[in-house]
Amino acid sequence: MKDENCFTTVEQMEADSAKLYELSKASGAQTWEDRNKNQTPHCKFGEEGVCCRICSMGPCRITPKAPRGICGADADAIAGRNYLRMVAGGCSAHSDHGREICHTLYAAKADGYYKVTDTVKLINLAKEWDIETEGRDIYDIAHDVALCGLNEYGKPFGTQKFLKRATEERQKTWEEQGISPRAVDREITTAMHMTHMGNTADAEALVRQSLRTGMADGWGGSMMGTEFTDILFGTPSVRETEGGLGVIEEDMVNIIVHGHDPAMSEMIVQASEHKDLLDLARSYGAKGINIAGLCCTANEVAMRHGVKMAGNFLQQENAILTGCVELIAVDVQCIFPALGPLSECFHTKFITTSEIARIPGAIHIKMEKENALEQGRQIVKMAVENFANRDKNKIFIPKTKEKAVVGYSCESILKQLDTVTNSHLDERNTYKPLIDCVTSGVLRGAVAIVGCNNPKVRPDYSHIEIMKKLIKNDIIIVASGCSAQAAAKAGLLSKEAKNLCGAGLKRVCELADIPPVLHMGSCVDISRMMLLATGIAKDWGVDITKVPVVGCAPEWMSEKAVSIANYVVSTGIDTYLGIEPQVKGSAKMMQLITQGTREITGAGYIINKDPHELVQAMIDGIEAKRAALGI
Amino acid sequence: MGLFDRVFAGADDMLAKAEQDLSAAIDELGIDAPMVMPDTGYFLACIYAYTGRKVAKLSDLKEAFDDVKALCTREQKTEDIFKNGIATAIAAEIIEAVKYAKSPNPYEDSIYHGHFSDAEVRELGVPLVTQEIPGFVVIIGAAKSDDEAFELIKGYQSRGIFVFLIGDIIDQAQRKNISMGFAVRVVPTGKDIWSVGHIISLVVRAAMIFGAVQPGDWDAVNEYTFKRIFAFVNAFAPVDDITVACGGGAIAMGFPVITNDENNMWRVPKSLIIQPDTSDFIETSLEARDIKIKVTNIDIPVAFSNAFEGEIIRKKDTHVDIDGSRLDCFELVRTKQAHEIEDHSIILEGPDIDEIEPGSKMCAGFIVEVAGKNMQSDFEPVFERRFHNFVNCAEGVMHTGQRDLIRIRVSLSAFEAGFRLKHIGEILYAKVKSEYESVIDKCQVRIYTDPAKCKELRAEANEVYDARDARLMALTDESVDQFYTCILCQSFSPSHVCIVTPERLGLCGAVSWLDAKATFELDPNGPSQIVTKNSLIDERLGAYEDVNEAVSKYSHGALEKVTLYSIMEDPMTSCGCFECICGIEPFSNGVVIVNREHTGMTPLGMTFSEMASMTGGGVQTPGFMGHGKHFIASKKFMRAEGGPARIVWMPKALKEIVHDKLNATAKDLYGIDDFCSMIGDETVTEDAEALLEHLGTVGHPVLEMEPLL
Repeated sequence: MKDENCFTTVEQMEADSAKLYELSKASGAQTWEDRNKNQTPHCKFGEEGVCCRICSMGPCRITPKAPRGICGADADAIAGRNYLRMVAGGCSAHSDHGREICHTLYAAKADGYYKVTDTVKLINLAKEWDIETEGRDIYDIAHDVALCGLNEYGKPFGTQKFLKRATEERQKTWEEQGISPRAVDREITTAMHMTHMGNTADAEALVRQSLRTGMADGWGGSMMGTEFTDILFGTPSVRETEGGLGVIEEDMVNIIVHGHDPAMSEMIVQASEHKDLLDLARSYGAKGINIAGLCCTANEVAMRHGVKMAGNFLQQENAILTGCVELIAVDVQCIFPALGPLSECFHTKFITTSEIARIPGAIHIKMEKENALEQGRQIVKMAVENFANRDKNKIFIPKTKEKAVVGYSCESILKQLDTVTNSHLDERNTYKPLIDCVTSGVLRGAVAIVGCNNPKVRPDYSHIEIMKKLIKNDIIIVASGCSAQAAAKAGLLSKEAKNLCGAGLKRVCELADIPPVLHMGSCVDISRMMLLATGIAKDWGVDITKVPVVGCAPEWMSEKAVSIANYVVSTGIDTYLGIEPQVKGSAKMMQLITQGTREITGAGYIINKDPHELVQAMIDGIEAKRAALGI
Repeated sequence: MGLFDRVFAGADDMLAKAEQDLSAAIDELGIDAPMVMPDTGYFLACIYAYTGRKVAKLSDLKEAFDDVKALCTREQKTEDIFKNGIATAIAAEIIEAVKYAKSPNPYEDSIYHGHFSDAEVRELGVPLVTQEIPGFVVIIGAAKSDDEAFELIKGYQSRGIFVFLIGDIIDQAQRKNISMGFAVRVVPTGKDIWSVGHIISLVVRAAMIFGAVQPGDWDAVNEYTFKRIFAFVNAFAPVDDITVACGGGAIAMGFPVITNDENNMWRVPKSLIIQPDTSDFIETSLEARDIKIKVTNIDIPVAFSNAFEGEIIRKKDTHVDIDGSRLDCFELVRTKQAHEIEDHSIILEGPDIDEIEPGSKMCAGFIVEVAGKNMQSDFEPVFERRFHNFVNCAEGVMHTGQRDLIRIRVSLSAFEAGFRLKHIGEILYAKVKSEYESVIDKCQVRIYTDPAKCKELRAEANEVYDARDARLMALTDESVDQFYTCILCQSFSPSHVCIVTPERLGLCGAVSWLDAKATFELDPNGPSQIVTKNSLIDERLGAYEDVNEAVSKYSHGALEKVTLYSIMEDPMTSCGCFECICGIEPFSNGVVIVNREHTGMTPLGMTFSEMASMTGGGVQTPGFMGHGKHFIASKKFMRAEGGPARIVWMPKALKEIVHDKLNATAKDLYGIDDFCSMIGDETVTEDAEALLEHLGTVGHPVLEMEPLL
């Protein structure tokens, strides 16, 4: 039995990183740790959200002596505008990603490189959107669905179609509070417009638009991104993989895929299985071709192909530092420009593939849908041919890796829950078994842990400490993004992690044959979590705000995370943050995001930089929700 | 009140009762009074298993009670529910144990079974492994009606599920004349809920005996019961707090509770299941515990289940007595050509049992003819020996013996239900065909009842038996090319491997070399695998590289080596279901052998249970070894230490079983006549010194042998 002491610790991960940095100094490599030192201390005005750079009269910075900018905007207006602009940035990233996938589906054809894989999901979505399916070719349906999806980004009238998936109560709240999102582009544009010089200075109005813009992401762009990705590449199902830098293989050609949109990485994975390329690899003395992922691209290909996960956001440089990565191919988001100069210190080829992310020092291969597999082959071939250029003196692969079970889409979770139903009593395909566990007290509740790494806190430490404490307290976890990868590295996605759980969760893991932390995918897949919470609330028959389920982003850093936090709160789920949003310079804004939103959506932020205090607050919050329900 | 609070309240109730009864007993008997449960080497098994504490006196029990109290923590966590639940079970054991402190057999004059002996626990080993008993149910409370109680119990029984009854359902079963007892696998455990302590005691002993779970290893006990003991509970409404608390213990051990009580009750998937429709209890429960019943549909007018195997038909209830000890009876399997057999044909020659006076004797011969491309004549006796189990499973039919020494009784009620001789044919056809389908393509059954024909065929059958015996005699460890493993028990005893050789059958007594061979042929990926014997290390010990490799492979590295013929050097391990245990007797340099059925003391100062607890679960204990009865007369029996001449003591009943063969072996090996008369037994002495004296008087050969230690 794997006991508590056999799981990879943060200390071990840090020791691996330290060794890599030490060795890399000889190569002249620089990493985020060096740059972080150079950047510290950070600008206090920026950190507190009270630096306004919106017009060229400034920048204006708020101090007790200068409480207003030149135009008269006070701390509340400036912090509020900066905050909303972050949400708009995040929403646009997720939504543009989602839109790109819509285009990919639109381009899908029976004899193309991109095909419809999950026809059931396509047909269900077509029916949901009143698109005729009877007697039609699947690709005709796909094109209509894609077109309808694309329309969601710019339609002149109405609100997002997916809102109807929510509980009656949520829909009513959104409507009453005026935060039902219209077209995705419209909300981003409105956000940018409202924050333009000379517009909204009322913090509450800015927060309300933040909620609505976040909603356009979570219940719009992100949700479409997830749905369309599933239709194209298959709805994730449970599969086994591994996580940690140890997945890089010394005797194989290693290709790292990194970013968020799986359209490119899917082709690389396919190409890596082509016999001629495998033979080529062998001819160079490699045992084979090993694809490993970073960030959310890793999550996407792991849960559809079992591709191994090398690491999360702050490990992207470490992968190259092993000296064994022949090629790193990136698509969009969270890619360090530092990879350009860093790859030059090694033999590693750095390939950018999207017009969205062009980076100096990279070879740019613009992915074209009609040419995608050839391009995938071209990339794999480059990697194989680069195998011989490794510098033997620069090789160090840390041994640490852990087993992981991934791919818990809502569909997979329901299927897993079916295994614990009794055919003589229970309905299938519901969340009721999970609800029974919670109402009886065997499980205390659930937490969705998401988000990035951030050097402002000890990387991965908050994720892992919080997860361990929650599962010890019989609280089940769903995780996505870099958080899920932290869990993978620490072994928390393995079924053996049941040995770290309280007796209740341990038994649930054994009976349902699941790990205590369920990997739900990438950061756009947080939309899956919204549907999960919605499904639970519907099957339970209570308002989502009452369900003992909360969200947590212990190490968040990106604008996407702020957008996510807004739609999670709008969905009625309390959100626990381990990094402060940059609005501290405005007491009003702090009040609005922690308390004010509760009047609007029934949920808000709880912020604490100490992971131990944060997790205790979560446990207390869950117990308070239980008490309110009388369970 | 929430589910957790109900468990806490119930635990308090049970503990209060235990404390009260315990202090009353201490007041009455004194704190130093002995506290011993009969026929067990595991003390108070629940306390021993969960805390490691060996209770021998009431003072120990008092200390144990404080451990139990400490388990009753009160956080709103499943961990606390599990701890309180187990504490409740242990408190139940204490309440029941106190009765045994006062009287050696407190249930003597009642229908209640009370404590289970170690022998009973071990008896369950083989049927559990072979899934003849696919699971256990504990039924608590009263069914809505006597009829429903009857249906439920019979329903479980007919599926082979072992049934424990607690409380009012026992009265219901009695009113419906359900035959009850350990042998028929319906046990009226006790009147009160605390009699559940006996059941938990049985279960945790299974964990220690078969699973080599270390006493005191809380998690390992629960892990074993969860993974390997397929038990569950049916609790009838109204379910009180104390029963809910017991349910908490059951769930901690992995046993789901199914109840029809919807009041103040919570659903927990696969653990606590509310089924208002009690008529669906059985199927709901089996699904909850993932028990799949292997069904053989046999067209007979009575129930057919393993549960009836132990049923005894008394003379006054007998319609017909097919008595091989007085008349010409026999059973035989013969291999035929396919064209000679009409599949599923049952041919009766002679009168049927409705043509005789009720209660009289008659002769009968049964020939099962089989054909199949992969059939080998070596399999004939293997199939034939199973007739006993097959026929016995019919309700109201009893079968004993084998070959031409069989006895079959059909009860009056079975006869009234329409049971005739052709139904025995149906049973034999269905079971032989289904159990050996990979080698049997066609099968027909011939039944003879004409006395002259029986006499003639019996003589022919005897020729077959003689030929087989000659073949068996010729089968020695040296004369064959390969041995076999048997890991049938690994579902229970994960690190034990039997090596079965012609001269050393499996320790459970159920698997001979021919059986293992047949098992391998029937299922090449099954529990019996070939072990080559190419690289001998030491002939005296029976040590082979091949055997060691097999043992290491199939024990998953738990064991590195075993010898076939030594009890001192790397002796073969045991799963826990051994028929006999043999242990060295240091005064005489010999060994004492005890069979499972013997409950008395031995010259080692230990009972069977105590000796048996020294080994089992795949653990190697030099000086102690579990084995089958028939290994005793084998020339390979502890050959490394000098062979059967080392045997200095056996229970009389066991001596009688092995008498002829052991004498013949001793004559062969040592030229000694009537060796068995030299071996001590309980009528001679149970004392080591007196035994030594006896051995001197009779001139036992052990006294001339090298010291064992």
